[in-house]
Amino acid sequence: MSDSLVFMMGQFEATFPTDRQYARNHMWARQQDPAYRFGFSAYAVRLLQDVYFLDWIVDPGTPLQPRQEIGSIESKKAEASLYAPIAGRLSAFNPELLDDPSAINVDTYGIGWLFEIQSPIPDLPEGDAMSGLMSAQQYIAYLDEVWVATQRTIKGQLA
Amino acid sequence: MKPEITVVVAQGPSHDPTKRTREQEIADRLSGRGDWEVLVVPHLNDLRPDAASLAALRQRTGHLIVFSWLYPRAAHWILDRHRISGQRGTTRLQLDTDGKPSDEMPSDPQQEPVERVIDIRTVPTRAIYCIDLRACTSADAVLQEVERILTETGKSASRSSVAASEGNGSRPWRSITDDTQRRWYPVIDFARCTNCMECIDFCLFGVYGLDESDTILVEQPDNCRKGCPACSRVCPENAIIFPQHKSPAIAGASSSIDGLKVDLSQLFGKPEPDQHAKQIAQQERDQQLAASANQSSSSSSTVPPSQDAPRRDTSDDTSDDLDKLINALDQFDL
Repeated sequence: MSDSLVFMMGQFEATFPTDRQYARNHMWARQQDPAYRFGFSAYAVRLLQDVYFLDWIVDPGTPLQPRQEIGSIESKKAEASLYAPIAGRLSAFNPELLDDPSAINVDTYGIGWLFEIQSPIPDLPEGDAMSGLMSAQQYIAYLDEVWVATQRTIKGQLA
Repeated sequence: MKPEITVVVAQGPSHDPTKRTREQEIADRLSGRGDWEVLVVPHLNDLRPDAASLAALRQRTGHLIVFSWLYPRAAHWILDRHRISGQRGTTRLQLDTDGKPSDEMPSDPQQEPVERVIDIRTVPTRAIYCIDLRACTSADAVLQEVERILTETGKSASRSSVAASEGNGSRPWRSITDDTQRRWYPVIDFARCTNCMECIDFCLFGVYGLDESDTILVEQPDNCRKGCPACSRVCPENAIIFPQHKSPAIAGASSSIDGLKVDLSQLFGKPEPDQHAKQIAQQERDQQLAASANQSSSSSSTVPPSQDAPRRDTSDDTSDDLDKLINALDQFDL
């Protein structure tokens, strides 16, 4: 595998390959012409832990607005709705995950990919926080900002 | 002779091993009794009208005790839509801890009583007890509750005969399989519905219709747009349930229930809760409309903005979503 950067979540080393970009909603993005392929970042997977169930509420071909709700996930530790990381047209979901989502835990940067979006924006502006994508380095800086708040949130919900 | 009580264990759609284990444990623990039979069926929400499981349940005219990974209201009205009807039994196994039956509408003494659809309908006298598997943390408690219901419905075998039949394993549970795919549709809680027709006016996809007595019904559930719960938000009585919706209020919970798991939705991009229900409903419906228009004419790749939906504020790029989440936690109306 190519180079990657590390972010420490407590004792846990979350690694982020530098061969791809990252969205603010903790998904990685990799251009696979003509679409962007998305999956969970190691940060998201660490918070979720074992994924048990994945459900999509839009069909392939659906045009998406950024942060439009597209599905939901259930894991050992969490439940969450999932939202579009960027605008575009949803072109495919990873069919393997519907029967067995465990590939997300086994190989989150590879066969555990989630979906593909064809974006109408030819070049996404780097680091445009709402709809754009960040480099691994920018993403780690972003995680630095939010890590304390994330921990507070999770502890708050568990209290 | 068929036992007069049927216990149904409806499996969840999830791969969660703890859920699978719980289903199995409950089915095992309740099996081997002469007083009731145990049927294991797929996820109730995903059954199609011609499912073998539903046909089997329609044949059972005695009392039903239905365990599922759904809110009891959702399970009850899904069955009702499939012509498996009865009086709602109140179970002691409930998710919330305050001890009250959680499903009742808050009654306002100032208000004139309103006629509900259920008041003008004939419902069989047999009881249907829907029990949320999330509330079944102990197989012993489940067995106790089923025995309590047996007594409550007056069909109790004596304690000694229950004890005598214990462990002989003569009646193992029976499993009915159906080919299921995930489904998304509304069900109407007719104990709440007043037949006001707001939903049929609002929905643009032809989901709703009227029966021969001009009562609202979910006529074409598969016309429903996946993920769109908009009609539920416009219903003045909160009578429309989307059993698979993430939000407990829409999925059929009736009082505040906190999930047992952390909700990470905000982490994955959930917008702030700054919109009124009606605006959200219109936005959801219009998104669906745009999506279906778009699929029929695939030339355009952008979504026309809705006329009446508010524009989402995109100027808050620099503020921190998670800080907002912390502020928003206080306002969660779960």
